[in-house]
Amino acid sequence: MNDFIQSLFGPNGVNVWIAPSSTWLLATILFTGAGIVVFVWVALMSVIGTYAERRVAGYMQGRLGPNRVGWFGVLQPIADGIKLLGKEDLIPAGAAKWLFRLAPILVFCGVLIPYAALPFSPRLVVSDMAVAIYYILAFEALEVVGVLMAGWAPNSKWSLYGGMRLAAQMLSYEIPMGLALVVIVLFAGSLNFQQIVAWQQTPMMGIEDPNILGWGIFRSPACFVAFFIFFIGGLASAKRAPFDLPEAESELVAGYHTEYSGMRFAFFFMAEYGAMYLVSALTAILFLGGWYGPLPLPEGISPASLVELWNTNTAGQESFWSACQAFISAPVVLTTAGAELIGFINLAGKALILFFTMIWIRWTLPRIRIDQVMHLCLKVLLPLSMIAALGAAIQIVIMN
Amino acid sequence: MALNTEKFISQVNDLSAQGNLHTEEILVNMGPQHPSTHGVLRLVIQTDGELVAQAFPQVGFLHRCFEKIAESVTYRQVVPYTDRLDYIASMNNALAYVLGVEKLMQIEIFPRAQYIRVIVAELNRIASHLVAFGTYGLDLGAFTPFLYGFRERELILSIFEELSGARLLYHYPRIGGVAKDIDAKIAADIRAFIKTMRRTWPEYNALLTENQIFIKRSANIGVISAENAISYGLTGPCLRASGVAFDIRKAQPYSSYEKFDFNIPTGQGTKGQVCDCWDRYWVRMCEIQESLKIIEQALDSLPEGEIRAKLPAVLKLPAGNVYLPCENPRGELGFFIISDFQPKALRIKMRAPSFCNLSIVNKICRGVLVADVVAIVGSLDIVLGEIDR
Amino acid sequence: MEQDSLMLYQTYGGANISFWLITLLVLISGGIAALSTNIVRAAFSLFFTLFGLAGYFVLLGSDFIAVTQIIVYVGGILVLLIFGVLLTNKQKQPLESPRSWPLFVFATVCLIALTAVMVYCACVFPSPAINQNYVAINTAYTLGRMLSGSYVIIFELAAVFLLLGLIGAAFLVRRAD
Repeated sequence: MNDFIQSLFGPNGVNVWIAPSSTWLLATILFTGAGIVVFVWVALMSVIGTYAERRVAGYMQGRLGPNRVGWFGVLQPIADGIKLLGKEDLIPAGAAKWLFRLAPILVFCGVLIPYAALPFSPRLVVSDMAVAIYYILAFEALEVVGVLMAGWAPNSKWSLYGGMRLAAQMLSYEIPMGLALVVIVLFAGSLNFQQIVAWQQTPMMGIEDPNILGWGIFRSPACFVAFFIFFIGGLASAKRAPFDLPEAESELVAGYHTEYSGMRFAFFFMAEYGAMYLVSALTAILFLGGWYGPLPLPEGISPASLVELWNTNTAGQESFWSACQAFISAPVVLTTAGAELIGFINLAGKALILFFTMIWIRWTLPRIRIDQVMHLCLKVLLPLSMIAALGAAIQIVIMN
Repeated sequence: MALNTEKFISQVNDLSAQGNLHTEEILVNMGPQHPSTHGVLRLVIQTDGELVAQAFPQVGFLHRCFEKIAESVTYRQVVPYTDRLDYIASMNNALAYVLGVEKLMQIEIFPRAQYIRVIVAELNRIASHLVAFGTYGLDLGAFTPFLYGFRERELILSIFEELSGARLLYHYPRIGGVAKDIDAKIAADIRAFIKTMRRTWPEYNALLTENQIFIKRSANIGVISAENAISYGLTGPCLRASGVAFDIRKAQPYSSYEKFDFNIPTGQGTKGQVCDCWDRYWVRMCEIQESLKIIEQALDSLPEGEIRAKLPAVLKLPAGNVYLPCENPRGELGFFIISDFQPKALRIKMRAPSFCNLSIVNKICRGVLVADVVAIVGSLDIVLGEIDR
Repeated sequence: MEQDSLMLYQTYGGANISFWLITLLVLISGGIAALSTNIVRAAFSLFFTLFGLAGYFVLLGSDFIAVTQIIVYVGGILVLLIFGVLLTNKQKQPLESPRSWPLFVFATVCLIALTAVMVYCACVFPSPAINQNYVAINTAYTLGRMLSGSYVIIFELAAVFLLLGLIGAAFLVRRAD
């Protein structure tokens, strides 16, 4: 979005029909709007997530899911939201009040902030950072601090232990996740999402446009292993089953969000589904080609060219409306819009398939005990991811 | 070191009331209300860090004075009360009681009635083991096998509904026989169920039994040696998983069990040690298969005849006492009946299998993680109805 | 990409407001962290301080360092600190600060000196938010080249020191068996 704004308001910017005098204010409004769009997307993911989870769980267990509220039960999440809003706001006696209120916000922000770097389609991204992957990995830390706060604030020893176990689990699984990312970064040569997807579009084994074959997981055995390590690590850091012991219902205590009710509880759940989609989208971009393939992607043009087109095409038009019409009728504009749409469908489709896989895994597998969780991370995934990173490095050295 | 449970629990309650608990040994109170369906059991667990030091079960929350009530109603009126003891295996409870009464009265039961009793007892055993299977998975976080098990259990409950009119508490075995005959439709339903159960049994194995996470959480946990099992009075699948091949249906057959050919599954230590949680679970799964065999044989060779002996309106048992043990899905269930030639019993004492099974929980929970206590209690498969009576 | 956006941001004046907002956050949370008598509150407000420092790095154009600050300080050191505080916090009374007059005088003198320095810098230097020496480079790439090229020995030595620390810590907490 930065280059979009710069091309809009820079030296070669829009000077026909729209010539804003206060570009700073407009830039702020645009960024705020982008933030709202991202927030709405995260909320949408939790709405879809709660509905899909219960419906899919129902079908897997040989029963129907919610089907009373609305056609096929689609209004069920709305009903849940209304119910949660109406709950009494309980803060336990002896709890640290401000920390108690702050914890769900921190956990939710820890999930929302990485969305600033996550692209939705080839050019639709809030901030196209040079260190995008690194940035997304870093904000795990925010979630961990939020979880610790949520465990401490209610002044209950069970919440505290649950929170600390969860924080330990999330922190430990960051390491194999990071190393799996290193594998991809080594091959792609950049931390930036555009370049990683561009790497997956490069010719492979003589095929010019490899489509599915060019995807990250097929580029190298190290990448293949890294895919599974990253996905499992993502499951653990999103606190999903089979790693959800700290928030388990059938264990002795319900973990770090025992004392939270109503909308605060809803924040934790929105954070969980947001994290699920984040991990799924990341896996899709890094390992499964992102917005590239299986649907073929038309060529689009850069925002600077779009702005130039606007300036030239709409110069002599009568009204703003006819100017828009003249602009849209240019075929290049339609191709660009089509590229965005198809890219979005590709990316969201893959991410949602992985989202469904996470739900599938939850309802199939039992829970892993916390010491087995740590064993899996430190004794299995960590060595495996180190070997994968080493293998990737060796392969690059050999190939060059 | 002798444990004085009463004193310990009262000390615990005093200390927690004063707020002076030493923070290094932490008391975890599990229950009496649980998310899992084991009933109203209170487990007071004293932990030393992450590991369990002691685990004291406290029972009595479901006590309904069965034995006292049984002294004030007639023998026939006791039968519905026996249903409600182990409410998951209702047929087996009533069967144990009526067999005891019939032995004291020394009456012969028609062969058809005996075979029907065997069929319903085995069907109820399968239903009970399906509940055990489902809730054990639920304890460990596997939500789906619970619903799969209940899907098959629905078929059994429909059969029982046709037979007795009820889905859970049947009042079907009566003194002298059974309440209603098995007609062709019910027999066809039972055969259809056997077919379905045989088809879906491998599904359960694929989903839960062979699952690595499940094995990791069950194997080598809660190991009970054969000596411990015998000395604590364990019976049923918990005893057989320790390698002791003792089944009352084979050792002291009742109600024509000697006419059927079936095996006794014992624990082999397939995935870990002998008689860990996985073995107890696996013994129950294998017993489902054996029960299917018994039902098939009974249906195939069901003799013709009447199903209920004619008995006087007022039953007066001869003076004396009787104890007839039966193989409940949870172990040895027996009613010790003392009668003194009155319409009502002088004393009825019930030996509940889950009561003895639960007594070993302190011994085997030493030194495990707190999360494993749930698995251990789930694998013992207790029902509070018969523990508390 | 990121490099051009910084110039955009600085040109349009948003940098100044961000700088002062971040400074406000850092000062307030740092004050709470240093002066609070409730140790848990102090630990959690240190979190905001470290976050603010990461914000400064962003304003200076070092995106990689900013994210590294978050990963290392917030995600590593601060979480460790919070674990330690939460696990060992048995206090029911607030912390007591030591009362000693020499310390108080020394602290006041330092505070006055620091304020004088800040006022001088604010008057002499231009807007603090604009990075005059900003060069649009790919920070991650350049850092990588430097660390594995000119500064490789220091990098390796730092890694060895970290390893020593790890082994020492593991040795210290081993069970006595």
